[in-house]
Amino acid sequence: MGRFIARRLVQAVPTLFGILLLTFLLSRLSPADPVKLMVAGNFDITPEDRAVLYHDLGLDDPLPIQFVHFLGDVARLNFGNSFYYHRPVVELIGERIPNSLQLSLLSLLLALAIGVPLGVIAAYNRGKLADHVIRITSVAGHAVPTFWFGLLFVTILGVQLRWFPIGSMNVVGVDCVFCWDRLWHIVGPVITLSLTGIAAYPRYLRTEVLEIIRQDYVRTAQSKGLRDRSIAVGHVLRNSLIPVVTLLGGILTIILGGSVVIERVFNWPGLGRLLFDGLVNKDYPMVQASVIIGALLLLVSYILRDIAYAWVDPRIKVR
Amino acid sequence: MATAQTAVARPTAPVELRRASAGLWSDALYRLRRDPTTIAALGTLLLLVLLSASADLLADNVFQWSFSKQDILSSYEKPSLSEPAMVLGSDELGRSQIVRLLYGGRVSLSVGAFAALVSMTIGVLLGISAGYFRGWWDDVVVWLVQTLANIPTLYLLLLIGAYFRLNPVTLTLLLGLLGWLGINNLSRGQTFALREREYVVAARTIGATPWRVMTRHIFPNVLPLLIVVAMIDVGAVILTESALSYLGFGIQPPVPSWGNMLTNATQYSSRAAWLIYAPGAMIFITVLCLYLVGDGLRDALDPRLRGSIGGAAATKKTA
Repeated sequence: MGRFIARRLVQAVPTLFGILLLTFLLSRLSPADPVKLMVAGNFDITPEDRAVLYHDLGLDDPLPIQFVHFLGDVARLNFGNSFYYHRPVVELIGERIPNSLQLSLLSLLLALAIGVPLGVIAAYNRGKLADHVIRITSVAGHAVPTFWFGLLFVTILGVQLRWFPIGSMNVVGVDCVFCWDRLWHIVGPVITLSLTGIAAYPRYLRTEVLEIIRQDYVRTAQSKGLRDRSIAVGHVLRNSLIPVVTLLGGILTIILGGSVVIERVFNWPGLGRLLFDGLVNKDYPMVQASVIIGALLLLVSYILRDIAYAWVDPRIKVR
Repeated sequence: MATAQTAVARPTAPVELRRASAGLWSDALYRLRRDPTTIAALGTLLLLVLLSASADLLADNVFQWSFSKQDILSSYEKPSLSEPAMVLGSDELGRSQIVRLLYGGRVSLSVGAFAALVSMTIGVLLGISAGYFRGWWDDVVVWLVQTLANIPTLYLLLLIGAYFRLNPVTLTLLLGLLGWLGINNLSRGQTFALREREYVVAARTIGATPWRVMTRHIFPNVLPLLIVVAMIDVGAVILTESALSYLGFGIQPPVPSWGNMLTNATQYSSRAAWLIYAPGAMIFITVLCLYLVGDGLRDALDPRLRGSIGGAAATKKTA
């Protein structure tokens, strides 16, 4: 297992390089002038001051040298100061990450807790009413724009019926993580963010489970007289863990990407919201850092997924 | 696809008498005609395209209200049948919701269709060539795919949207440039399988150039699957564009798009909740129809694939 993890980590290096190269090139190709943005609002700045700033920021170096400096900065997690908050970007992101993790982990759990059983139920009831209902709901869940679902949640259940709060993490004055107040606030964003996962799992898993049910070992289990339920749990569900993990990568991307929109809809102070605010405020260090950290989070979760993959399917390790 | 040929030889339903098989496409048409859901979805889709295409005509003659016409006196008009232009109400500036929906549909549908076309082209070219030539070229393509797959598409779009000002054309190109991963993986995988088949080996043996083998022998076999994925892709692009426009980095007002109409509507949700329902419902219906048509085409082209591209679609959604 150790060897597998080490190999997987080495494989991540070119991807990491690609991510950093892409974000670097995008920021340097941009027609926006960083110094201009940095000093926005200061009218008494002289051309000499500008030249000094250019030099300090290393913007007069050749591109490859700039890239090396950039890599060094990223390695030391030095993304500079936010143009807007005038504080180190890393600190601001560090404060927001727990909020985002709480939201995305709960969404992932909800997607698994509802989506996986639905997929198995659909496969076991193939062609029956339950199968059709699950299929239709699943296609609909795919097609619904998640942010619109969130907006409907806020408008109908929040504004009109007042069952749920319309945004933020806690009631003003309350600041707690494990309490009813937080739970009440997190219901909307979690349901919305897990929607795609809930829709995706039945669609994908149904085919896989149908495949598994046809396998010889299931017939053997049946012929040796095991009860249907213990076959479903011990043989079918266990083997369907592999496709469950396969789809995990896509679901994680959706949850992380979707968080920008959902955190905006529900006014949830996470990483996605920070990225959005950075964009609105033209706070480029913030935007760049959020994108890099978001991609890093995704890279780490992909590695974790692959480790989980090797764990549920030992054949993977040999390859 | 090679499997399609073998599928054609099997009877579709055990009861009906088999007519002579007339080839992949007419067989598909034969099956499609017996699938009311797909036909209904296709009909709705055509209707939407037709209505959006004739937005100018309808605005002038039926509604007599241009998409930019403001009328402060009739702002926040509730949906009513008093006037054709007000069947879906009006917004804060008294602009007709239904006329703006038609124009928004024109934008959303054409962005979706053209972006999907761009990504199909890139994905097929890279996928088939990587699968055919393998070696270092395949490594480069895989690296590119992994890098792009590791950055949430929405993050990347927002990053680029922040650095460069996007107009509908550049936005379309950009969505196409970032959306080819799924098609690439699919056509690359297919090519891997196809390149070792007898007829491809035979073509190579008698001296066919790589270009000829790829265009004449591999591409036609990948095509049926691609049409299916294209449908899903257009839907996915429409969802991404609407989320991006909702965040304010996609289609810019005054050009209406279903996404940016929702941005506007959220500001007035307590006063004019109806403004939230229609644009989202339009996105939902359009994407739902596209997915249903995609599913139907897949089953029609090759019934054995039932359910198999669902997983690919699952990971396409970005918002």
